[in-house]
Amino acid sequence: MKKTFLIISLTLLLLSLTVATFAASFGKGITLKEVTPISTIFENPDSYLGHKIQVEGLVVDVCAKRGCWLYIAGDKPFQKLRFKVTDGVMVFPMTARGKKAKVEGVLQKFVLTKEEVIARKRHHAEETGESFDPATITSGETFYQLRGTGAVVEGL
Amino acid sequence: MSWRRLNHALHRDIGYLCIGLTLVYALSGIAVNHVGDWNPNFKVVRATSQLSPSSFSGVVSEDQVLQLLRQIGEPSVYDNYFQNDPESVRVFVNDRIIDYHFASGEVIHERVEPRSFWHPLNFLHLNHPKKAWTWMADLYAIGMVLLALTGLLLLPKGKMRPRCLLLTVIGFALPLFFLALYY
Repeated sequence: MKKTFLIISLTLLLLSLTVATFAASFGKGITLKEVTPISTIFENPDSYLGHKIQVEGLVVDVCAKRGCWLYIAGDKPFQKLRFKVTDGVMVFPMTARGKKAKVEGVLQKFVLTKEEVIARKRHHAEETGESFDPATITSGETFYQLRGTGAVVEGL
Repeated sequence: MSWRRLNHALHRDIGYLCIGLTLVYALSGIAVNHVGDWNPNFKVVRATSQLSPSSFSGVVSEDQVLQLLRQIGEPSVYDNYFQNDPESVRVFVNDRIIDYHFASGEVIHERVEPRSFWHPLNFLHLNHPKKAWTWMADLYAIGMVLLALTGLLLLPKGKMRPRCLLLTVIGFALPLFFLALYY
């Protein structure tokens, strides 16, 4: 009886550990050893352009249609980094929102005109179902994103 | 048994075997083809509520997040929160999202639900299970090849009629045409 109880307890413990550490891998997964804080990247983003880097953080938004991008929260307030993958190569489920993730990719820079910013934000609003007022855009902007090669999302 | 009878029997029986899987792949195929227009796996359910506007702006504390949850009648438990800007906060609660905009007091509750019909179909079609399902899907693909080949040999009265030839040529030409157009 005691032996049975012990075996069941150990099995449940192992099972709970397995569930607790379960993570879904996408694309090529994680290959780099070093994590670069998003705040460090934003201090001097141009120095990371074209470099493959790994970042980690909370998934705060996911593409609602194709699952082709997600945003990772930075380690400092009001910072987030877009992680974009080729459509269909990796498909992130919407349930990834609120989960911790490690992602890898090559940093890219985009310099957009005011019209391009409006078009991009309008498209984003259509995808997410959020409201968007073009009048809030007054100038062009520069943004950075990781062109994704792989990701691991915890708890999926 | 003559080869024609064997071919006919094979075509018929493989056809019956493949009906279920063909429906899974075909229906899911239509669903994921239009992924630009909708999310074939999940639907987002949104609701809004209103709190009194707040003059707060800046980095919220954990206590402020808990206070917000109490104000909207949620249990004082959350998984995480994030601020996109100093004027709002996004709280993650049990696979749900609560967005609160301080100045307007607007609260948006968002829940993601798997589509009960499409999600399982796409799960199989896109081979998310992996493991044994991969072999099952391979067997199905071989079944479809056999279905095509045995179908080609279903010759009425043992002869390849012009109509059969024409339809077969069209069948090959269609993918070639679109390859020439888009590839």
